[in-house]
Amino acid sequence: MSLAHDSRITVRPAALAQRPARIWPEINHPAAWIVAVILLIMPLIANGFFLIEIFASTLILGTMALSLMFLAGYGGMVSLMQLTIAGFSAYMVAVFGVSGNANISLGWPWWLAVPMALALATAFGTLGGALAVRTEGIYTIMITLAIGAAFYYFTNQNWAIFNGHTGINTVATPHFWGVNWRADIPFYYIVLAVAALCYFAVEYLSRAPFGLALQGVRDNPRRMAALGFNVNAHRVAAYAFASFIAALAGVLQVWNYRQISPGSVSVGACIDVLIIAVVGGITRPIGPFIGALIFVLLRTFALDFLVRIGLDGNRFRFLIGLGFLAIVFWSSDGVIGLWQRWRQSRRPAANRPGGGHGHG
Amino acid sequence: MSRFVERHPAWALISIIAIAVMLWLVFAIWPPGLEEAIGRKRVFLNAVFNGITLGGLYFLVASGFTLIFGLMRNVNLAHGSLYLFGGYVGYAISTATGSWILGFIVAFILTALVGVLLQVIVFRRMEGQDLRQTMVTIGLSIVFADLMLWACGGDFYQIQTPNWLIGPIELPLVTAIKSSGEPVYLRYPMVRLVIFAASVVIGVAMWLALIRTRIGMIVRAGVDDRDILAATGVRIQLVFVAVFAFGAGLAGVAGVVGGTFQSLSPGEDIRFLLASLVVVIVGGMGSIPGAALGALIIGLAEQLGSVYIPTYAIVVTFLIMVLVLAIRPQGLLARR
Amino acid sequence: MDSVAHRLSAVGAGAALELRGVTRLFGALAALTDVTITVRPGERRAVLGSNGAGKTTLFNCITGDFPPSSGTIRFFGEDVTHFPPYERIRRGLRRTYQISALFPGLTVQDNVYLACRGVSRGRFSFLRPGQNDALMHAADNLVQAVHLSAVKDQRVAELAHGQQRQLEIALALAGAPRFVLFDEPAAGLSPTERAELIEILTSLPAHIGYIIIEHDMDVALRVVESVTMMHNGRVFKEGVPQEIQSDPEVQELYLGGGHE
Repeated sequence: MSLAHDSRITVRPAALAQRPARIWPEINHPAAWIVAVILLIMPLIANGFFLIEIFASTLILGTMALSLMFLAGYGGMVSLMQLTIAGFSAYMVAVFGVSGNANISLGWPWWLAVPMALALATAFGTLGGALAVRTEGIYTIMITLAIGAAFYYFTNQNWAIFNGHTGINTVATPHFWGVNWRADIPFYYIVLAVAALCYFAVEYLSRAPFGLALQGVRDNPRRMAALGFNVNAHRVAAYAFASFIAALAGVLQVWNYRQISPGSVSVGACIDVLIIAVVGGITRPIGPFIGALIFVLLRTFALDFLVRIGLDGNRFRFLIGLGFLAIVFWSSDGVIGLWQRWRQSRRPAANRPGGGHGHG
Repeated sequence: MSRFVERHPAWALISIIAIAVMLWLVFAIWPPGLEEAIGRKRVFLNAVFNGITLGGLYFLVASGFTLIFGLMRNVNLAHGSLYLFGGYVGYAISTATGSWILGFIVAFILTALVGVLLQVIVFRRMEGQDLRQTMVTIGLSIVFADLMLWACGGDFYQIQTPNWLIGPIELPLVTAIKSSGEPVYLRYPMVRLVIFAASVVIGVAMWLALIRTRIGMIVRAGVDDRDILAATGVRIQLVFVAVFAFGAGLAGVAGVVGGTFQSLSPGEDIRFLLASLVVVIVGGMGSIPGAALGALIIGLAEQLGSVYIPTYAIVVTFLIMVLVLAIRPQGLLARR
Repeated sequence: MDSVAHRLSAVGAGAALELRGVTRLFGALAALTDVTITVRPGERRAVLGSNGAGKTTLFNCITGDFPPSSGTIRFFGEDVTHFPPYERIRRGLRRTYQISALFPGLTVQDNVYLACRGVSRGRFSFLRPGQNDALMHAADNLVQAVHLSAVKDQRVAELAHGQQRQLEIALALAGAPRFVLFDEPAAGLSPTERAELIEILTSLPAHIGYIIIEHDMDVALRVVESVTMMHNGRVFKEGVPQEIQSDPEVQELYLGGGHE
C-alpha cells in the first residue's frame, strides 16, 4: 500500500467516473424554479407598494444579511458591522454623487460615484475585518459591534462629511437610456438582479477552494494552519468578499429611500441584520432572504395585526425580540432548520439526505 | 511592573513621559503661551476631572461585564439593559422615598436578582455555547429595551442629587492667577468626586476580594483556565450565579450613578454597552485592573476629545481601541 | 531563487530536523528546557516519556503552533524558528494530532481535498474545481489509500473513531511530505486497527522520515529505528530501541513505573 507516494501525480481513472461535476449550484428542485418564476413576473402580480416596500426591501435586507451569513455560516465569524459597511457605502454614494445637500455632495455621475462607494466600503470592511481577526471567536462580535457603534456616533457628530444627525437627503438616482431606474418596476428588477447575483456568487463560492478553505477555518483553524493555509489571510479575504456584497446592498438601499442618515446605521439596525440572518438560518444562502421576508412582513403588518387583536401596536420590537429568542432556543438553523425537521419527521428515515450540508 | 519595564523599555518610557506631561499640565501654573495655544487651564482641568469621574462610572459598568465574561465566557450584550434598568429603579425609589442611598441599595438588589434569574433560567442551559449565549443576550436586550420603553416612555429622567452633596467643592489646584496675584482654585461638583471615590473603593474591594478570599481564588482560577474549575469539585454553578448576580448588581448601581451624573433615556443602554465593550477590549478581558485602566483611558479620551476636537471625539476613543487591538490584541492588562 | 538553491544544498548537508537548545515557557512553567535533537532525512524516531514530559509541546514548537521561547529549529537546513505554521507545512513538514483535529462540518472528500489544496497553489481560488482537477484526483487516491472510499461523501462528524484516526493520517500525508510528526496515532484504536496502522507506517516511502509519540511500546518500537526519551521537558536518553528498552534508568522511570 503506497499511501503518500506522491499522491499529487498518480492519477487513477477509476475514482473519476463516480463523481458528479460540481460546477454549478444544484438548481434541480422544482420549488426553486417556481420561486424564480414568481420573482420574475412579480411586477404583473404585485402593485407598487408590495413591489418596493415588501419585495425590494426584502431583497436588499436579505443581501445585507447574506453577507453576514457568508461570514458566520462559512467562516464562523459573526460580524455585526455588515449593516455599517452597507451604510458607509450608501453615505459614499450620497457624498460622491448628487444630492439635495450641495455643500457636501461632490456631484459625480452615478457611474463614477457607485464604483467609488463600492471600493471604499469594501476597503472599510476589509480593514475592520483585519482588526477583528486579531482575536478569535466571541471577541469578533464585540469588536464588530464596537466598530458599528463608533460609526453610528461618528455620523451623528460629524457635519463636514456626514451632515450630522440630519443625514443626506434627496440623493439622485440613475436615469439613462431614457429610463428612470428608480421607478418601481425597473428598480425592482435591478434589486432582483443584484440579489440573485450575490446569492449565486455565495452559493458557487461555497464549493470552490476558497469557500471550502473558509469552512475548514470555521471548523478547525489550527489544523488549517497545519495544512499549509494562512488562516488569517483567508478570514480577511472573506471579510473583503462579504463587504463587497454589503456595499452593493448599501447602494441599493440609498437609491431606495433616496436619503441616508445615522438612524439607518444605528446599533439596533446592525443587530436587526443579525436577527434576520439567524431567524432565516445561517447555514445556507437562502436563509437570510427568508429571514428578511419575515422581518419585513412583521415590520409592515405587525402594527395592524397587534391592534386588531387588541394589543399595543408599538410593541413590534418586543415581538421581534421574542421571535428571535424562540429561534435561538429551539433551532440553531433558523426557520429553514425548523421546516426541514418538520419535513423529516413526516418522512421518517426513508430518504434522509446524507451529507447534505452546504448544498442549497 | 519592573518586569514590564524590562521587557518593553520603549513603551515604559512613553507611558512615563505621558504621565509626567499629564501631571505637569494638572499641577503647574500654565505659561501664557500655552493658554493661547490650547485655551484656559480651567477648561482643561474640568475636562480631566470629568474624564476621570466618567472613567469611574465606566469602571462600575465594565467591571461587572468583564467579570462575567472572564468567568463564564458569556458576552452579556444585555449588560446595557441592566444598567438602564438599575437607573430607572434608582429613579423610582429615590423620588418615592427621597433617599438617594436607598435607590442604590434597591437598584443593586433588583438587578442582581434579574442576573440570578438569567443565569439560573437561561444561561445554565447553554453552558459552554458562547455564541448561543451571546445571541440570547442580544434577544434579551431588545425585549428589555422595549419593555422599559413601554413602562417608562421616551422621556429623560434625572435622579435628584441629595442636598448634602449638592454644590461645588474647592480643590487645591490652581487654574489661574488673578491680576492681583491671588490664585484661583478649581471648583468641582462634590457629588462627582464622592461617586468617583466610591467607585475606587468598590474597585479596590473587588480586587482584594479576588486576591484574598476563597471565592475570589476560585473566580480567578476560572478566568485563567476553566477546566481547572471542573476539576476542583467546587460547586461551580453557585459561583457562576454569585458572579452573575454581582456583575449585574454593579451595572444597576452604575445606572443610578449615571442617572445622577447625566440622565436616563432609551438609547443609554446601548451607549453604556458600547463603553463597556471598548473599555474591556482596551483593558483586557476578564481583568479588573484592566477594566480600571481601560475605563480611565476611555473616560479621559472621551472628555478631552469632546473639548478639544468636538466633531471627532468618538474617533479618538475608537482609535485607541484600534491601536490596542493592533499592538496587543488581548488587551493591555490581560494575562494571555 | 537562492532559497531553493540553499534548500537543495541543505538536503545534501545532513539533518532533516535540527533543534538546538529549544526552550518553551508557559508563564513561569518550563514545558521544554534546552532540547537539542537532530533527525536525519528518512529517519524514523519515537519520542517516549510520561504525561507532561513535553512531547506534544515539542511537536507544537516544531510546527510553530507555539513558537519556542528560545533556541533554533532548522528544517532541512533552513532556519524556520520564526516561520508561521503554514510556511513550515509548505516546506514539507506535516503533523497529526493526539485528539483528531478534523473539519467535522465537511465531508471526508473535502477534508482531504483541503489538505491537498493547502500545500499547492490556488488556495484562494474562487473557481470550483473541474472534472479534471489534479488535486481532486490526488484527494481521491488518498481517500482510497486510507480505506475511506465508502464514506467519502459523509460528513466527518458522522464517522466512527477509527475512521477519524485514519482520516487524520491521510490529512498529514497530502501533497509531498518530507517529514511527519505523529502524535499518538494509535490512541483508542482496536488491535486490528493498530495492525493496519503499523502497516501504513512501515510502508511509507523511504525518503519520508517521522517522529512518533506513542504510549504503546509494541507499536512504537516496531516502526522506529531510534528513540528519544524525555523527562520533565528535557531530553533524558537517546539511542536505538534495544538500548533504551534495556536501560535500567529508563526502566525505572518509564517502562516500570510509568503506567502507574
